[in-house]
Amino acid sequence: MKSPTVKLILLLVFPLALLAQSLSDFEKRVTEFTLGNGLHFIIFERHEAPVVSFHSYVNAGSVDDPSGETGIAHMFEHMAFKGTQTIGTKNYALERQAMDEAEHVYDRYDAERNKGLKADKAKLAELQQQLKAAMDKANSFVIPNAYPQLIEENGGVGMNAGTGEDSTNYFYNFPRNRLELWFLLESQRFYDPVFREFYKERDVVREERRMRVESSPQGGLVEALLATAFAAHPYRNMPGGWASDIDNFRLTEAIAFYKKYYVPANITISIAGDVDPKECRRLADKYFSILPSGPLPSGPRTVEPVQKGEKRVKVESPAQPFILVGYKRPDQNDKDDPVFDVLNEILSGERTGLFYTELVRDQKIALGAAAQASFPGGKYPNLFLLFLVPNRGHTVEENEKAAYQIIDRLKTDKVTDDTLNRIKTKVRASLVRRLDSNAGMAEALTFYHVNYGDWRKLFTGIDDIAKVTADDVQRVAKQYFVPETRTVVYTYAPARAAGEQKGQGQ
Amino acid sequence: MKPLLIGVLLAGVLGAQTEVRHAIVLPSYKDLKYAPLPPINPPVPAEVTLSNGMKVFMLEDHELPLVSGTALIRTGNLFDPKGKIGLAGLTGDVLRAGGTTSKTGDQLDVELENIAASVESQIGESSGTLRFSCLKENTAQVLRVFKDLLTAPEFREDKLDLAKTQLRSEISRRNDDAHGIAEREFSDILYGRDNSYGWQMEYSDVDNIQRQDLLNFYRRYYFPANIQLEIYGDFSTAEMKATLEQLLGEWKYSQAPVPPFPKVPEKAEPGIFLATKTDVTQTFLDVGHLGGVLRDKDYPALEVAAEILGGSFSSRLFRNVRTEHGWAYSIGASWGAQYDHPGLFHISGSTQSAHTVDTLKAVRDELDRIRTSEVTDQELQTAKDTVLNGFVFNFDRPSKTLNRLIVYEYYGYPRDFIFQYQKAVAAVTKADVLRVAKQYFRPQDLSYIAVGNPKDFGTPLSALDLKISDIDLSIPEPKQETSQTDPASLEKGKDLLRRAQQSLGGSEKLAAVKDLQYQADVDVQTPGGPPMKVKQTNSFLMSGVLRQESELPFGKQSLYSDGKSGWLAGMQGVQNLPAAVLKQARGEMFRQILALSLSDRDPDRAVNYAGDGVLEISSKDGESVRLQVDEKTGVPLKLTYQEAGPQGPASIDLTYSDWREVAGVRLPFEWTVVQGGQKFAVVKIQDYKINSGLTQEALSKKP
Repeated sequence: MKSPTVKLILLLVFPLALLAQSLSDFEKRVTEFTLGNGLHFIIFERHEAPVVSFHSYVNAGSVDDPSGETGIAHMFEHMAFKGTQTIGTKNYALERQAMDEAEHVYDRYDAERNKGLKADKAKLAELQQQLKAAMDKANSFVIPNAYPQLIEENGGVGMNAGTGEDSTNYFYNFPRNRLELWFLLESQRFYDPVFREFYKERDVVREERRMRVESSPQGGLVEALLATAFAAHPYRNMPGGWASDIDNFRLTEAIAFYKKYYVPANITISIAGDVDPKECRRLADKYFSILPSGPLPSGPRTVEPVQKGEKRVKVESPAQPFILVGYKRPDQNDKDDPVFDVLNEILSGERTGLFYTELVRDQKIALGAAAQASFPGGKYPNLFLLFLVPNRGHTVEENEKAAYQIIDRLKTDKVTDDTLNRIKTKVRASLVRRLDSNAGMAEALTFYHVNYGDWRKLFTGIDDIAKVTADDVQRVAKQYFVPETRTVVYTYAPARAAGEQKGQGQ
Repeated sequence: MKPLLIGVLLAGVLGAQTEVRHAIVLPSYKDLKYAPLPPINPPVPAEVTLSNGMKVFMLEDHELPLVSGTALIRTGNLFDPKGKIGLAGLTGDVLRAGGTTSKTGDQLDVELENIAASVESQIGESSGTLRFSCLKENTAQVLRVFKDLLTAPEFREDKLDLAKTQLRSEISRRNDDAHGIAEREFSDILYGRDNSYGWQMEYSDVDNIQRQDLLNFYRRYYFPANIQLEIYGDFSTAEMKATLEQLLGEWKYSQAPVPPFPKVPEKAEPGIFLATKTDVTQTFLDVGHLGGVLRDKDYPALEVAAEILGGSFSSRLFRNVRTEHGWAYSIGASWGAQYDHPGLFHISGSTQSAHTVDTLKAVRDELDRIRTSEVTDQELQTAKDTVLNGFVFNFDRPSKTLNRLIVYEYYGYPRDFIFQYQKAVAAVTKADVLRVAKQYFRPQDLSYIAVGNPKDFGTPLSALDLKISDIDLSIPEPKQETSQTDPASLEKGKDLLRRAQQSLGGSEKLAAVKDLQYQADVDVQTPGGPPMKVKQTNSFLMSGVLRQESELPFGKQSLYSDGKSGWLAGMQGVQNLPAAVLKQARGEMFRQILALSLSDRDPDRAVNYAGDGVLEISSKDGESVRLQVDEKTGVPLKLTYQEAGPQGPASIDLTYSDWREVAGVRLPFEWTVVQGGQKFAVVKIQDYKINSGLTQEALSKKP
């Protein structure tokens, strides 16, 4: 029998840490270089086993989706597995001609469709037929999934990619003798991606949204939280984008996004494992130098206006209730960033966090309760998030109220030295544990380099946390955990049920 | 020539649309050569047996200043007793949370986290574990906690209560996520719901489990000879051996050897099993049948076959359903062999509702294809290369070798099993793949589990020409404790009911009531929503007719029922009473306080005394309430019953107050409704009318 489990959606990103004295040891194993076109590499040597992890961090995510094209960063991420002019095609020249022709028909179809009510239905239907035929022709030249297949059959494991609000990440692991193959494949997919099977993949991306958001009670609630909390900033959109935008993506839009954001200076790559940094440098020059340099793109210009008063939204769902609460907080480069990390630990650190000890363990009103220091991203002002899952027979109101009582206590009572010391110890140890994974290190090195300007922040961030005082905790709680900038979303049972039960007296 | 010219020009313009770069000659992967990897040289863990019979495997790894360990206990929820499903899981959970004889679990939480250490316990399907992890400098301290939890857990009652509360909540949430439902039902249907591989924990199981059960379970399985211990990390083997002997050697407790795990009943459940979820836009699909075990000689060929069918980006199902049709994001297949019992051959994915049947057909087609013709050389090579070239990742951390060793030891597998597997995969031929696909993939035995919204399927599932069964997702409430129906109890019940009748005006006056009508103001507190005010007029014929007029914030609604059928009229027009609402209407009539108080005159009702002034009144057609009566005055105080809700039954408490006399009988003018422990509504009656001459004809008139 399988035990029942409740899948909580939040991926808690705990603050990172390591013993500061080991930074100098660690530094000896790290080599950094920047190619002439601006592409930055961080190599971490670890010779324990003949394997290597690769992580490409593109400093562009769904916040960079143009208006009306939400989800296009994610769409490109899918296209980055479609191959190149030499990988994935039976005849590139003919394939490209057919792709061009399909776009041409699509333009005519769009032109007619854009007439709206005045569109000629018969003509539209005919164009649709033509479009299908043109796409079928283009697809007839495709060798499906040739690019990922090359990775898999060469022993690549853990291959995947992810698009978030702030960034897009590509990663997998190879045995060390495939090092050069990785350089070849990764450089060519960023140099020369061919957007084949674009419109079929658009359907796949649409299915992904159906799966993650539309068919998941928690996904729907997170979508409502973001759309409510952020009036203007693109954090208001889920990384997958809105359904109607996805349905109308054009290949040209994905290319435009790629050209603007996938410039070498906007990409950072980390290689961790059994490699020689000199060899990496040689191969980087050989394979990645061909990427033409381009201007660094700017981030979204929209700044979220100050929130004036609490926002509350309820979402109808037949699922058992959940509640999300988000407090507006500054971005990750704010001086109080480490204080939010400490607050997160105070509230939801394992078995000693206040949410567990009070809401789950002692009051027994919550099945689960957690916080997250930064949501949905960190590059721009974002949310300190609370996620509460009421126990059977207990309500969201009850949980919300009890959570606020805990939050309010952080403003009136100072956190104890014991608690602070415990958190600081745990943060240090968690970095030691993180060192055990090549893939984890490759990811962390790129993340810290891009987001804090230096991978060393992975280590020095511990010092920042060590400096956090009880006064800081109290001050930040007072300043930011206020109803005026709070957004609360929760599910409720459909009204039908309430209506039906109204007269259950007699 | 003109058209051609335009064509050329257009091509030039359009060329800029789809091409990212002009073709320059790029290096080809075909020209790369790969040096062989160094031979795999797995580390060899040290093995000792402590004086109490506990086997220990140790492997040093000094890269990081960390030490970790796992006690692997031969037990599992496969040993859950019927009626107490969940006992193993609870034992595993409370073993840690309930603390030791010397310290509470809460004290351990603080002690361990102060040093960034953890000790955690769980019992899964066919094993239990107790694990620790700590910084090197805290090893001695954490080992002591580890030992205390392993040898002297206290299973404190408060933590059992907490764990049971959590389990009940998990049960209540088990139908929230369509994907989770599909996975669970797949496993339960294939293994069968009558045995511990496929049965499901219910509220009644949780209610049945007591602390003594946990103690007994623990004592049966947690003894030295039944435990393998593994220690890994930054320590010295010789010192660790001495430490463990000193720490655990004196724990001499012994039990009879643990019996083998139960056998899986070999059977098939062919057909479609449909669970309806209306809040999804995809259908979650799980298709398969019972599979095999890892030691089967054909296991390597089956892994290759499943890999080609649906194991990766380059597999057939992925290509067909996702890449070529765009019907799914997630689609795949696995042979799913287990160490000691048949696993599940499993094809799973999710597709937009309208492509449910298309996707299932594609699954069927691909299964047929792999069973009827050989795979291509390229497919075979890719599948084998994927396994063989990635083989080194089975050894990228020394801990993996240790973990594998302890698992092989646990299930009685040869220690070089992984190398045997490697060799066997390398030898698989196309003919092997076809042979095992024919022999082991059995289309006629497939169970198709679909969780989604059939309204949106477009093509109905019946197009697949298979038997279709509905999956019942309702969550059974625990059986209400029924008190004994001995004559004394029945007599006591009747006696108390008579006193209630007295307090309401006497049985004759009550029996004289033929109809009853009242207007009520209902303040509803919807869960999570703003308060809602409802005005209601309820009209009853005591012979069994109800009409209810409600003014809701979103419109008026009328309901009529004679107990067998009825109608509902609202903004959407008039419809026949849905079964769920009909049941509610019957419940309303059954629970009407005047009718309830005369239950002893109704041959279809049974009245029982449940102790403490509580009457249990039930009807032949399944209605049941508990009525609490003030034993001194006979005044009804509170009604408790279960009401079907969208998430399974909810417990309702209804408290009466403000009793006043109306035409010779006493009636409550206010009642408070509490649902699932939360205040749900306050009902205030404006006035009651008795015997005002209501007729069925008038009440049944549609608006």
